Amino acid sequence: MRAKHIIAAALLSLGCMAAHASEPDPLNSPLWDYMRQQFIGDAPFRFDPEVKVEVPTFAEDPTQVPITVDAQNLAGEIERIVVWADLNPIQHIFTYYPHPDVVPRVSLRIKVQQGTAVRAAVLTKSGVWHMGGSYLDAAGGGCTTPSTGAGNPYWESHLGEMKSRFFARETGGRYKFKIIHPMDTGLVDAIPEFYIEQVVVRNAQGDDLARLKLSQPVSENPVITLDVRHPNQKHMIWLRDNGGNEFEQAL
Amino acid sequence: MMIRWLLSVLVFGAAQVSAAPLTYNLKAQLIASNTYVLQGKLEDFSRENGGNIVNTGFIVTEEGVVVIDTGPSLRYGRALREVIKQTTDQPIKLVLNTHHHPDHFLGNQAFSDVDIYALKQTSEQIAQHGDAFAENMYRLVGDWMRSTEVEVPRKVITESEITLGSHRLALMPFSGHSGADLVIKDHKTGVVFAADMVFYQRALTTPHTPGLAIWLEQITELGELDYTLMVPGHGPLIEDGRAIAQMQSYLRWLDQSLTKAAQAGLSMTEVMKTPIKAEFAEIALSRREFARTVAHLYPKYEEANF
Repeated sequence: MRAKHIIAAALLSLGCMAAHASEPDPLNSPLWDYMRQQFIGDAPFRFDPEVKVEVPTFAEDPTQVPITVDAQNLAGEIERIVVWADLNPIQHIFTYYPHPDVVPRVSLRIKVQQGTAVRAAVLTKSGVWHMGGSYLDAAGGGCTTPSTGAGNPYWESHLGEMKSRFFARETGGRYKFKIIHPMDTGLVDAIPEFYIEQVVVRNAQGDDLARLKLSQPVSENPVITLDVRHPNQKHMIWLRDNGGNEFEQAL
Repeated sequence: MMIRWLLSVLVFGAAQVSAAPLTYNLKAQLIASNTYVLQGKLEDFSRENGGNIVNTGFIVTEEGVVVIDTGPSLRYGRALREVIKQTTDQPIKLVLNTHHHPDHFLGNQAFSDVDIYALKQTSEQIAQHGDAFAENMYRLVGDWMRSTEVEVPRKVITESEITLGSHRLALMPFSGHSGADLVIKDHKTGVVFAADMVFYQRALTTPHTPGLAIWLEQITELGELDYTLMVPGHGPLIEDGRAIAQMQSYLRWLDQSLTKAAQAGLSMTEVMKTPIKAEFAEIALSRREFARTVAHLYPKYEEANF
């Protein structure tokens, strides 16, 4: 009886392995299966070279690692883009809901705790997740290092201050903006988590062109770059942090 | 039987691993009268090179030996000391640390019985960042670092010149590379130890530069020195102004590339893909160092363009 159970379990696990073996993780990350479960569950997915995660090969400063997620060549309308780092203590970095009027590409900077796979999972309206990712090497410590704000009260009187600039592009235009915010992870002793949770760029009609849900691993004083297809419109940006502070400004 | 076989494999295997010798095979090259340089590789830190990517040197004066930088590890420092012992009977008079980067001072422990001098700010920087540097070096090169600990220079350079025997040494403080950079000129031989103010045929590094413009200005100053031979911190020795000229055009190109990129609104990952200008194709590690430089400096260029 017991032996039968064991055989059954072994067969089951073999079955699982076979299902995954058809699409092995190109980044060979130990947490791939678990993280996929966390973020997309059992939904259908495939690795797609049109989902690009651009990171440097090495995290020179683990508190400010540049990352660009680019799905502009992906066919099909995008529902959302979920970005995470497998081996970060807080894995989720951001989720991006791009309107068809923005280019589905976004650049910002993140904190990493150690060398890790950085993933972007793009859900198209078809219901399939398209997976992209890159391996980022790091000495570590980015999530448990106090923000510079922890040692310098500058942010207290400048919280939520934004600088933004518009850049004309060959097609459309680009916004780059920077927000003063400590983006504390809550993983540093005696410094509670304090970070921007929501960023929304709206057009003049009030449509949400770009909606971003940020998590703690987004770097202090975030610098976010995104591209719009119709630059002649007026745009607004609105933010809210986990302390309930809201900030709004014309771009 | 099986167990015995396994054991013998384990034991034999272990013996083989520990028998692999980690030796730097340092060779002192006589570059001028009484003046020696130990050239490092044009590489990045690795488990193969043990961090020996740096040029160190020593001058044998009638009043003892002056050591210029101590390398990346205790093991290197000891090997350097051994080379000095084989070269001369003169005792070591003093050690100079040119700046606070790990490949230049982590061999200090091997010289803890002699006076180690550095610029005041260099000692402060070593005290502040030394342990983090050492940890990172353990991660990058592994067992080569065994037992290496930070030894902060205890003597501060206050004079602009010291004379030891017939060697009159000018001690010139700069800041372009790391905030505090010591350049040494031996008036007797005309040799300039430029330390990391000058990289030649190896891409320069920027983690603590006060700014490319400052570095460029100081390179021009350095170029006006009279010298017979220049010893860069990294890369081959050079008798003429080619290293200075390369530094000038590389620094200018870096500054222009970052400025243009920021004006065009590029993101950091986009800037990192900037093609390396053809004239710098022969410079080792330019691709990798360019990406690092973007990480170090681009936020300031971006800030200027909001």
